Amino acid sequence: MTKQPLGIGILSFAHMHAYAYADVLKQLPNVRIQAVADTDEERGRKAQAQYGGDFCVDYQRLLQREDIDAVIVCSENARHAEMVLAAAEAGKHVLCEKPIATTVNDAQRMIDACEQHQVTLQIAFPVRFSTPLCRLKQTVEEGRLGRIVAIRGTNHGQNPGGWFVDPVLSGGGAVMDHTVHVVDIMRWLSESEVREVYAEVDTRFYDIETDDCGLLMLEFENGVFASHDPSWSRPRAYPTWGDVTLEVIGTGGVTQVDALAQHLDVYSDRDGGYQHAFFGDSMDAALILDFVDCVQTGRMPSISGVDGLRALEVALAAYESAQSGRPVRLR
Amino acid sequence: MSSLKVAIIGAGTMGWVHSDGYRNMADVDLVGILDIRADAARRLAASKDTAAFTDMDELIREARPDIIDVCVPTYLHRQVVEAAASAGCHVICEKPIARTLEDARAMIRACRAAGVQLYIAHVVRFFPEYRRAHDWVASGAAGRVGVVRAMRGGAFPTAWEDWYVNVAKSGTVIVDSMIHDFDFLRWCFGEVHRVFAKSQLGRDLMKLDHAFVSLRFRNGVMAHVEGTWAYPKGFQTELEIAGSQGLLEFRSGRAAALSSQFRQTEHTAAGVEVPESPLRISPYQRELEHFVQCIQSGEKPLVTAEDALKALEISLAALTSVQTGAPVVLHETAGYDQE
Ligand SMILES: NC(=O)c1ccc[n+]([C@@H]2O[C@H](COP(=O)([O-])OP(=O)(O)OC[C@H]3O[C@@H](n4cnc5c(N)ncnc54)[C@H](O)[C@@H]3O)[C@@H](O)[C@H]2O)c1
Repeated sequence: MTKQPLGIGILSFAHMHAYAYADVLKQLPNVRIQAVADTDEERGRKAQAQYGGDFCVDYQRLLQREDIDAVIVCSENARHAEMVLAAAEAGKHVLCEKPIATTVNDAQRMIDACEQHQVTLQIAFPVRFSTPLCRLKQTVEEGRLGRIVAIRGTNHGQNPGGWFVDPVLSGGGAVMDHTVHVVDIMRWLSESEVREVYAEVDTRFYDIETDDCGLLMLEFENGVFASHDPSWSRPRAYPTWGDVTLEVIGTGGVTQVDALAQHLDVYSDRDGGYQHAFFGDSMDAALILDFVDCVQTGRMPSISGVDGLRALEVALAAYESAQSGRPVRLR
Repeated sequence: MSSLKVAIIGAGTMGWVHSDGYRNMADVDLVGILDIRADAARRLAASKDTAAFTDMDELIREARPDIIDVCVPTYLHRQVVEAAASAGCHVICEKPIARTLEDARAMIRACRAAGVQLYIAHVVRFFPEYRRAHDWVASGAAGRVGVVRAMRGGAFPTAWEDWYVNVAKSGTVIVDSMIHDFDFLRWCFGEVHRVFAKSQLGRDLMKLDHAFVSLRFRNGVMAHVEGTWAYPKGFQTELEIAGSQGLLEFRSGRAAALSSQFRQTEHTAAGVEVPESPLRISPYQRELEHFVQCIQSGEKPLVTAEDALKALEISLAALTSVQTGAPVVLHETAGYDQE
């Protein structure tokens, strides 16, 4: 018996992660990228040539197609909401790039619409699928760290430029871009919600309209305290795009994770100097496989819209705290 | 120049470290070790071939030190420093300068009144990795500095009467250990404007302490400082300085020049892996040499007692922030002269 292939549509290649997801999808049996929609026609047509399927400028046309079961939304942050709402109405399952949206109101509307139309809404937090982080989660669950006391996170990067530094489209700079992954991981590990956020936020590295650095101090409902650094503080000379690191301090011990540590140091006169050659598992592949499985089996998504909303709340609270100079109480 | 006579008060961990330093210095005479525990004083004195004391007056009378080096627990610094000053001795004292600003100011006052020098052993400024990092920032190579990260810590310290456990005596990891980074960062970036902190204090500080401190400097630099006494073992430091033109990263674990593991033998237990970063002259000795030279020449030290007071102020602001849950703004008026 041959199954119908799962039809996927990609709504915008504005976020570069769309390429990583499409690369994975292309490799999967029984999955087809049926169409690509992008308001940037040149970018969209290029992607279509690379990944197959049809192209349209207007995503509404893509959503009308019968051969599409699910969509991946990789538009600018501020445009997630309208696309996800439309997809839900059209009965398409959704994998939405992080952050879920730029306002709590938008995020809530997206969650409600997907619930109402009974489609899956998964938020793309691939770090949850990083094999070293999964091992950390396992270590915590086995009780080997005892009770968690504190967690320190970093998610450094370089200035991505483009719409990321346009506050209208991005909703914020480094703090918006690089807070949500790690906050999601901290919630997942501590099994608790962030109660309070204090932050310093500023623009110190680049001449841009959004923030490019920040420091967050968090307190969870269960008394775990945490700090996070989402800054775009890596210079161009840095050998990777940035980092994802976590340290968990427990009563039973300490675990440190560096999600990109599995690498070779390569020094090549032919290929332009130093290369940090990562050899660990791909978290993007695991994220996409999980989403596909979730759609095919109809199970609950591993990372829900509410997870996306909770992480967004923390990023927004960070901005509010930096504005007021006071900690912001979330719950 | 005639050699200077030094006596050490407190024969615990730091008493041993300092006496090793002095023993390697040609122009210093280590004339005595004092501890309220006679056996501790005797053991250290014997190993350094000098005299042991348990009474300060006797030490002053018999050993006639030019310099008193204070290595007693933090909350006792003031009483020993005041005694040394009133005996007319210059003072080298371990960091933190004291446990309270009041004690710190009294110490500075006493030494000024007695016309003796007071140097506080903020040794991190004498570690070559931190010095290089400071000079890199000072050279402008970082461009405009944005975010700085510092980390320091390891296992909970063991000491006489377990005094590190007592918040009133040690001030927790924030006052005792993170003060190193506060002083270093002040050296690099100037005065701190705002402090916010979270730590184990007020939760359950059962010989397991951990803290995150967020600093905002007047020049806009933000810094994340992590201090820990929560690791099962070991000790490590990290420093990261990110600017618009470049990034500097230091991880002590990665900069260890040698690392040994020993097999168990009939005579020795199997040792845990010990990473080392050996230097011909230890940072502690370099620091003591510098202070001794300042006493001889009258030059201004790399780190002054006022610097030490300011570092304490940052630590205490962090403690206050932990306790109140609110950020603490440091005012320009603070410091010694605006008492
Ligand atoms: N610079 C550094 O890297 C560093 C490292 C550790 C400690 N320190 C500082 O050094 C100081 C000492 O710490 P430690 O770890 O060596 O403590 P410790 O407990 O190992 O030693 C303290 C010693 O002082 C003695 N003592 C107590 N009261 C005394 C008194 N009234 N007169 C004389 N001796 C007395 C005790 O018997 C003990 O031997 C503290 O201020 C600490 O913060 C600095």
